[in-house]
Amino acid sequence: MATETEGGCQDSADKHIVVSGKLIDELEGLCEEDVFGCYQCGTCAAGCPFMDEMDLTVDEVLRYVILDKKEVLESKTIWLCASCFACAERCPRDINITKIMEALRQIVLRQNIDETDLECLTDEEKRSIPQMAFVSLFRKNIG
Amino acid sequence: MELLYYPGCTLKTSAVNLEESAFAVAEALGHSMIEMEEWNCCGVSASLTEDDLMHHLAPLRNLVHAEDQGMDRIVTLCDMCSNTLKQTDYRVREREDDLKTLNDFMDQENDYRMTVSVQHFLEFLRDDVGWKTLKKKVVNPLKGVRIMPYYGCMLLRPREVAIDDAEEPRIMADLIKALGAEVVDNPYKIECCGSYKTIEEKEMTSRRAKTISTYAVERDADLIMLSCPLCKYNIDQRGKEAELLFDGYSQIPVMYYTQLLAIALGLEGDWGFGAHAVDPTPLLEEKGVLPISEGST
Amino acid sequence: MTAENKVGAVLVVGGGIAGMQSSLDLANSGFKVYLLDSSPGIGGTMAQLDKTFPTNDCSMCIMAPKLVDVGRHPNIELITYSEVESVEGEAGDFKVKIRKKARYVDVEKCTGCGVCAKECPIDAVSVFNEGLSERRAIYLMYPQAVPLAFAIDREKCIGCGLCENLCLADAIVYDDKDELSEINVGSIILCPGFEEFDSDQKGEYGHGRFPNVVSSIEFERILSASGPYKSHVLRASDGKQPKKIAWVQCVGSRDLGCGADYCSSVCCTYAIKEAVIAKEHVPSIEPTIFFMDMRTFGKGFESYYNRAKDEYGVRFLRCRISEIKEDPETHDLTIQYETEDGQLIEEEFDMAVLSVGFTSKEDSRDLAGRMGIDLNERGFCQTQEECPVETSRDGVFVCGAFSGPKDIPETVMEASGAAAKASGLISEARNTMVERKALPPELDVTGVGPRIGVFICHCGINIGGYVDVPGLVDYARGLPGVVYAEDNLYTCSQDTQKRFVETIQENHLNRVIVASCTPRTHEPLFQATIREAGLNAHLFEMANIRDQCSWVHMDDRSTATEKARDLVRMAIAKASIIEPLPMVELDITQSALVVGGGLSGMISALAIAEQGYPVDLIEAQSELGGVMRRIHHSSEGMDVQGFLRDTIGKVDSNPLITVHSNSQIIDIDGYIGNYRTTVEQDSDQIEIEHGVVIVATGAVESKPEEYLFGEDERVVTQLDLEGMMAEGADLSGKTIAMIQCVGSREEHRPYCSRVCCTDAVKNALAIKEAHPDANVYVLYRDMRTYGFKETLYERARAEGVIFIRYSLDRKPTVAKGKDGLVVGTRDHILDMDLEIEADLVVLAPAIIPQPGNADIGKLLKVPLNEDGFFLEAHVKLRPVDFSTEGVFLAGMAHSPKFIGEAIAQAYAAASRACTIISSDKFETEATVSSVNEALCSGCGLCAAACPYLAIELVDGKAVVTTALCKGCGVCAATCRSGAVQQKGFKDEQILSLIKGALCEVL
Repeated sequence: MATETEGGCQDSADKHIVVSGKLIDELEGLCEEDVFGCYQCGTCAAGCPFMDEMDLTVDEVLRYVILDKKEVLESKTIWLCASCFACAERCPRDINITKIMEALRQIVLRQNIDETDLECLTDEEKRSIPQMAFVSLFRKNIG
Repeated sequence: MELLYYPGCTLKTSAVNLEESAFAVAEALGHSMIEMEEWNCCGVSASLTEDDLMHHLAPLRNLVHAEDQGMDRIVTLCDMCSNTLKQTDYRVREREDDLKTLNDFMDQENDYRMTVSVQHFLEFLRDDVGWKTLKKKVVNPLKGVRIMPYYGCMLLRPREVAIDDAEEPRIMADLIKALGAEVVDNPYKIECCGSYKTIEEKEMTSRRAKTISTYAVERDADLIMLSCPLCKYNIDQRGKEAELLFDGYSQIPVMYYTQLLAIALGLEGDWGFGAHAVDPTPLLEEKGVLPISEGST
Repeated sequence: MTAENKVGAVLVVGGGIAGMQSSLDLANSGFKVYLLDSSPGIGGTMAQLDKTFPTNDCSMCIMAPKLVDVGRHPNIELITYSEVESVEGEAGDFKVKIRKKARYVDVEKCTGCGVCAKECPIDAVSVFNEGLSERRAIYLMYPQAVPLAFAIDREKCIGCGLCENLCLADAIVYDDKDELSEINVGSIILCPGFEEFDSDQKGEYGHGRFPNVVSSIEFERILSASGPYKSHVLRASDGKQPKKIAWVQCVGSRDLGCGADYCSSVCCTYAIKEAVIAKEHVPSIEPTIFFMDMRTFGKGFESYYNRAKDEYGVRFLRCRISEIKEDPETHDLTIQYETEDGQLIEEEFDMAVLSVGFTSKEDSRDLAGRMGIDLNERGFCQTQEECPVETSRDGVFVCGAFSGPKDIPETVMEASGAAAKASGLISEARNTMVERKALPPELDVTGVGPRIGVFICHCGINIGGYVDVPGLVDYARGLPGVVYAEDNLYTCSQDTQKRFVETIQENHLNRVIVASCTPRTHEPLFQATIREAGLNAHLFEMANIRDQCSWVHMDDRSTATEKARDLVRMAIAKASIIEPLPMVELDITQSALVVGGGLSGMISALAIAEQGYPVDLIEAQSELGGVMRRIHHSSEGMDVQGFLRDTIGKVDSNPLITVHSNSQIIDIDGYIGNYRTTVEQDSDQIEIEHGVVIVATGAVESKPEEYLFGEDERVVTQLDLEGMMAEGADLSGKTIAMIQCVGSREEHRPYCSRVCCTDAVKNALAIKEAHPDANVYVLYRDMRTYGFKETLYERARAEGVIFIRYSLDRKPTVAKGKDGLVVGTRDHILDMDLEIEADLVVLAPAIIPQPGNADIGKLLKVPLNEDGFFLEAHVKLRPVDFSTEGVFLAGMAHSPKFIGEAIAQAYAAASRACTIISSDKFETEATVSSVNEALCSGCGLCAAACPYLAIELVDGKAVVTTALCKGCGVCAATCRSGAVQQKGFKDEQILSLIKGALCEVL
């Protein structure tokens, strides 16, 4: 049983994410959002409750997609997103950024790469954490 | 009236106290909550990819079973269940092709005929009971109790399934006033608690709980009122853990609106305060809304 | 369809700055104008503004003269508090049904004295003050309203009868009813203005919930001296002075969540103005502006932006915000924002101002519907680029914000442009519906001693309540020269004015003094009356015993009366030595000379010809068309070359237009109405006589001196690119990098060339359309695709054009690579160096003034601004006029602009020109300067000081060109020997006033 390390569970093993072709084309099938419509206003980042914890800001994630930089799939940000919809609701370009984050996660997950490792939880925690959290986690982080 | 009740997983385990207090409140208001005969996991969280219909099956099946029972409404207590069921209902009404695909796939179930509406218990209180009626039934007003309402995201976003105005909701504030308590308005009430991140990012969730709760403390709020079992865990439990991360930080109590309702309606019962990381009992006794029990300080 | 018999009148719907400008142009060109407004007074939104950018002029101060001119103009009939019900007929002959709403106050009788409102017991929300203060149920729209008449808000009025009892002018009409009437006009101009975006709709900003979040128009009222806080900048929550104020840009603009995909054009600059003015009010205020792109594209706006940054310390943060949080107890605000390097900062502010965008009014949209006028999908009036002032219905024209968000100079230009088109349609009916009052001959008063008549006004109780008016009358009677004195309840009322003429004639008065209110509003009225009685208008003096006396000393009756006696005595002292001043009539040559045969020159020429006047069009090159010859498609999809061919064809075939190509102007002599110009064509010289000049010399593309331009043929300009694409260049699979602001917005050339952002986007879209696999990058500093052009930017992004922002201190680099060119820059979001391997680099060079501008300026005696473009008389309200009368400006000679904007301005110049050449005579000012040559030492100071170039040295002596003199008096003030005197304000006359003030006995 893995011991709890400071800051939460250990990260999963090294990922080997393969995307051939343009990132935007992969995304299109998953989320039909006009990513190029973004005019980098910063509203999404300004309203994200977890911005402080992320390595890339929300608008940087979109910019990576626009510039076709696949490193975005290795960022912490897309996994820290809690799908709270604050960015999507406030975006003046009406871009559903929540769906874009989900699509980026799905690109990774559908390559059979899981982003969760539960062995670091104690039995007590497994009992007391509400089931809905587990169900959501599995839905979001397992391919 | 009889309400068709959809529990969801957590209401039967970690959030039993939410269910029990809600049931007692419903009864006191002259309604009964009848659990659905056949229900499954609501399918949280709502599917966000365009090509993914599979994850709409679970929520849709629940809607079908409501129709099977001859009911046109499902009442839920869990915010995430409410949100997920509503999103699927919205999706199939917007895209009838998808509904057909889903109905065809579920060849062992009846077809969903789009006759069911999903209602969160808060909506029921506002629209079917009404604040005036509720106020009349309050025998133990929560005078002098300063309550900070907390919605989280699931009740208000995305806009299509919101139960109130997404930027200026007032349903909780109205409820608090009907109970005779004071509202501590605040700008964090619609911000995310961290949701399922609580499993793998415990400290991040603790930090979030602290940010949300600190605002309440600075404005002399006595407790935070909310409706979602995951929000409650995150702010209560992770908030208590934040006391270890931040010197001098003390988490204030977190309560379900149904527990407060039960107390205000003068109902007898154990509302499960033992399951809280921060026991609200001392505070409630101090405010005089709970009788001082023997053996308490 | 156009009617056979044209009606020589025009209906102008909307009395804002656009309506007023159109009305004045038309009224001064021989047409009758009906000016209609739905409010109780004219003035529109401009009356609500505090100051205007970029000059920081007080809005009311620059607008008030137009208000007064409109109010007094004999050819303009004001129809206020009214609506248009229906329009029938066709261009040239419309029948319009009008509903005059019940006002409950008789406008003819009401003198605006204000006693009713003082006593009215009912409070109502003031719409003019944007809900920040209250007014009474009987109210005046704003203090300087025209007409200066009250109105009763029926919904609030309780019918107590107090105002009716108090009104000494008997102007209250409790049983007033709506009145329907019909008027017959030849053209209609629609200028109902705009509405601000309702920021309550953007719940996350808290407007309507948080008291310290206000909209920009509310802030204008807060800044205004006539506003709710009397110009003190205060927070609504606690009345304290705010320190940190945040401006939030693009509220209701560029926001699909609000249903607005367009940019409202003016908010960037107006936010800067509000920040700067707030700081001027309270130097300790710290303004911060949250923005996306800074769209300060207009003439003088970029320097305004720079000054705000450098001199005023306004902080500019380039990011949009998600929400505004409020502390419910202190009502302080917190805003979270992302810095340009990706940090999240939370900051506290005392107040926030939402820069709201423009929408059209619902009433305007309904009216357009009733009139069969097409609207665009955003609810604004639909117009075509070929003529931005025409609507979809013949004979109905549009100007101002109803056709799209725009600033005041653009509005004024469109207004004059609409007047040109509206009058061009009915030019043959000129002068058929205007009154020309028959005046009796002037009495000759030479040799006759002064017989002074003194009329002292009670002004209801405004004066009479605080000054002993009857006592004043007795006092005046006893002063030397006074043969008649009386007091009036309201000297300005119609019945008193009627008796005036009789009184003057019966008593053989030859000097008239009125002791009442301010000459600012009433002097011309009284002057007109005494002229009707046969006296020269300048045998008149006014003593202001209201604004300068009774209103200031309300609590001290005896001192007020004493002061009033002093003021009356002063006026009488001067009246004894005032003289009749003649107005000289000059002949006008009714034709125009247009300098420059590009788009603007040709459109002006055609517009003037449409009015029926001959035009000489001077063009230096052999072909007409100017820069337009190199443009193929406009940003709005116009077939530019086709339009150019049509326009040239129209010019060539017009019998009233004479084109002089290959021609240069050698000399211009004369002044307004009387010009003689020498033109050289090849080696022949001809002389042309004309009445006015329109300068339309255009501008040129600068030649970049960086980015390998001129060194590598793969580096071209946007115009080059357009030419290449027109010739079918194959760009498939190629990478094109566009660099903006090449030579603009830099220290050596601080202005913005305005059109380049849209131009680049237009060309980028054209490339993508023809070659979808081409890669296009646009390197910009701010994307200035303002107004409806924002959608082009949106489309370009959707097509995959990549926009990368660079800052002035980190310009891109262009170097020769292995195969292509390598463009180096830094991505502004990722803070990452990028290298683009480009096959083609396209630069957007600055648009610079024609090198020949200075020479033309000298010939015409008109100035250039610091950037070398021509300097108009006033940036806001006179954008096509020069200070020198008779000369007008159109097109890029003014500043860089789009085709549609140039066309509107060209029409405007034509309209302004026609206000002069539409009549054959021109009356000069009477209070002009005159020179006593014996005393003149030829020092030339007066000529240097004169802003109208109306006085100059000729053979060592100062000579006044009466036609140009405006009577400002600067020359007289400068003259050390007293040689220059201003008629009506001579030294001895001013001294007599002083003597009159100091001496008890005259």
